[in-house]
Amino acid sequence: MNKKALHFSVLTFVICVGIIVSYVKYQSFWQSPKHAVTIAVSKTPLSTPFYVAKAIGAFDKTCVQVKFSEVVGGQKAFSEVMSGKADFGTSSDSVIAFQSLANKDFVTHAMFVQSDNDVKLITHPSAQINSAADLKGKRIGVTKGTASEYFLSTLLALEGLTTEDVLLHHFKPDELINGYSQHEVDAIVPWEPFAFNSAQLLDKDIKIHDTKSLNTLSFNLLSLKADKIVVEKAKCIIEGLAVAIDYIASHPEKAKKVVIDELQLSSEFIEWVWPDYIFKLSLNQSLILSLKSQVIWAVATQMTEHAELPSVENFIDSRAMLQVDPGAVNIPL
Amino acid sequence: MNGSLSQRIYLFTLSCCVLFATLLGSVIWSSHSVELAFARDNYAQQVDNQTNSLKQLIISDNIYASNYSVNHWQSLQQKLARLLNSPPKLSPSQQTVQNSIKSQNENLKRLFSQITKNKLKNASAAIKVHLKARLMMQLEAIRSDSLQLSSIAHTDIYNTIKHEAFFIISVSAASIVALLFGSFSLMHIVRKSLDEVKRAFKQNHSGHFQKIHLSHPSEEFDSIVKAFNGMNEKLSETTVSLAVMKKVVEERTHVLEQLSNTDPLTKVANRRALFERADMEFSRAVRGKNQLTLLLLDCDLFKAINDEFGHLIGDELLIHICDVCREEIRDIDFLARYGGEEFIIVLPSCDTLGGIETANRIQSSLAKHSVTVEDKQINVTLSIGVSMFSEWHESLDQLINDADKAMYQAKEKGRNRIEVLTRKNLH
Repeated sequence: MNKKALHFSVLTFVICVGIIVSYVKYQSFWQSPKHAVTIAVSKTPLSTPFYVAKAIGAFDKTCVQVKFSEVVGGQKAFSEVMSGKADFGTSSDSVIAFQSLANKDFVTHAMFVQSDNDVKLITHPSAQINSAADLKGKRIGVTKGTASEYFLSTLLALEGLTTEDVLLHHFKPDELINGYSQHEVDAIVPWEPFAFNSAQLLDKDIKIHDTKSLNTLSFNLLSLKADKIVVEKAKCIIEGLAVAIDYIASHPEKAKKVVIDELQLSSEFIEWVWPDYIFKLSLNQSLILSLKSQVIWAVATQMTEHAELPSVENFIDSRAMLQVDPGAVNIPL
Repeated sequence: MNGSLSQRIYLFTLSCCVLFATLLGSVIWSSHSVELAFARDNYAQQVDNQTNSLKQLIISDNIYASNYSVNHWQSLQQKLARLLNSPPKLSPSQQTVQNSIKSQNENLKRLFSQITKNKLKNASAAIKVHLKARLMMQLEAIRSDSLQLSSIAHTDIYNTIKHEAFFIISVSAASIVALLFGSFSLMHIVRKSLDEVKRAFKQNHSGHFQKIHLSHPSEEFDSIVKAFNGMNEKLSETTVSLAVMKKVVEERTHVLEQLSNTDPLTKVANRRALFERADMEFSRAVRGKNQLTLLLLDCDLFKAINDEFGHLIGDELLIHICDVCREEIRDIDFLARYGGEEFIIVLPSCDTLGGIETANRIQSSLAKHSVTVEDKQINVTLSIGVSMFSEWHESLDQLINDADKAMYQAKEKGRNRIEVLTRKNLH
């Protein structure tokens, strides 16, 4: 190789390196400006993808600058969204089903986690409740309009009972345990981490029934009815969640540590609930079926004052998910 | 790099082989990837089919009937469980979906066993419908997941093919660039070296024996250059250049020509040169109807002078006569020794009178300038015959002959005279 060719090669190499360095360094210049969004995140391990996304900076590379508003329960998250305090919220499918009955102006963008054992039935041993049939005439603490109430009603129905056959006491989710410990009720239907907390606090005075698989609970990302910009924001949030979910699958221990630190939980609790969780982004027919069955059930069991069945499809917006992972969307358009 | 051309070609060939092997490797790798993705897709399809069978069963059978047998359900369930327990190797994202499917299937089994445990004797119709809907929902969740599995497999196939195509195109493009660069640089080196050798040969041809300095040294050409430079060194020591040789030959030829046309004693033109020039002038006179006059000069009593003073003095005398004649004639006139003591002067564009006048001038000058030998003055005279070209002259010989006759007439009439031969004189 003569000198001329050597010089040419060196020059080409230097130019290529220069282009790559300036691309990396000035990448932010041609990136679109970031949208500031507030997400009302329910303080439960079900929100793990959000905490992990924030911890690993998964939102940094997207078009949103995320701020969390931590709330207790999906219903509170929902009301923050409806009141405009938050742009997005995380709620269970039960909340979505109940709120669709009220025909609120919201949409669901994605489902990011499922658990088949999140809501549990806890009873005082002294009440001698061995099966759902024994609940008849008992005082039961639930959180109205949530998975808690829905789960109790299906449990009762399995034995031919309705909510009218029991004495319902309504509590906020974090107050259920107080009502239980003060013997205001014979049984409570809390979700995690309140079930675990109850078990920790009231070690001997507690009976947790095996209801795994009888209730499937999903957590979903929702917002007010979306315009183009909201869809764009939702897309960016989902992109961050997708990165976080991949991280959870590949680094489960690190992900658990993030949630433990964030929610000040014990590792025992996380080890307890973790096997029940499936972190996965989707928006499919099973969510619609779940919402439909819950809506029909709520009307049939008169859990709601609304009698008209809403069209649950109207509360699903697949535009954002279709942009991120079209393969995970399986609903009739 | 001062390697040989063959080394460069070997290196070049080796690089091509490496590139080809890389391409082959990547094709094999991607075909494996695509094959695996197809296996995953096939697995997803089977799960989908199996779930559909279960859905069909829930729709068509009355699972709450008192005589309902769960055998059919269980056999389908076992098939699905077996399928779910032997998946192909899955990607991390597919593994997440697979975990979801397995979990959903566990839920499905538990829910179904709860429902069929005691046929929901106490349950209302509403809860029966609701739970059936829940069963359908679980199945739908499995089906959706299997569709997602399939979708991931399709994306994997698409991405693998896209990446492979990009890789093949990139490597091919790089190979073509490298091939062009390599072949052009080889061609450039060979052509440049050949040009340098060719130029050196050309310079050799014109007598400049210079060494070759290759701008792109290579072993093959170096050996040629070494041999050439060695040869050139020897040649430059032993060879006279053609131009020098030509110049020497021209000089020698000129001298020889001069010698062959000049009278060695008097240094004027000899008889051969005389006829050459006179012939030319005669032809010109004939062609152009020009005038031409000849003078034939003969030294009077030359033999007596030779006898008295010796031949050397005779020779001196002849030289003196020539010197005088040269002084008196024009530039265009031509003096030559005709033989012995006879001289001829060719006078182009000159008539008889002009000839006589020239002859007179010569005689007068000769009379004035005598030759001194041993303190003795020797006077010499000339008898001059004049003849002018006329229409009767058919050849130069006739004209010379007339001049000769005129000269004899001058001798006969007492020497030191000028006689003109005219046609009248002749007849």
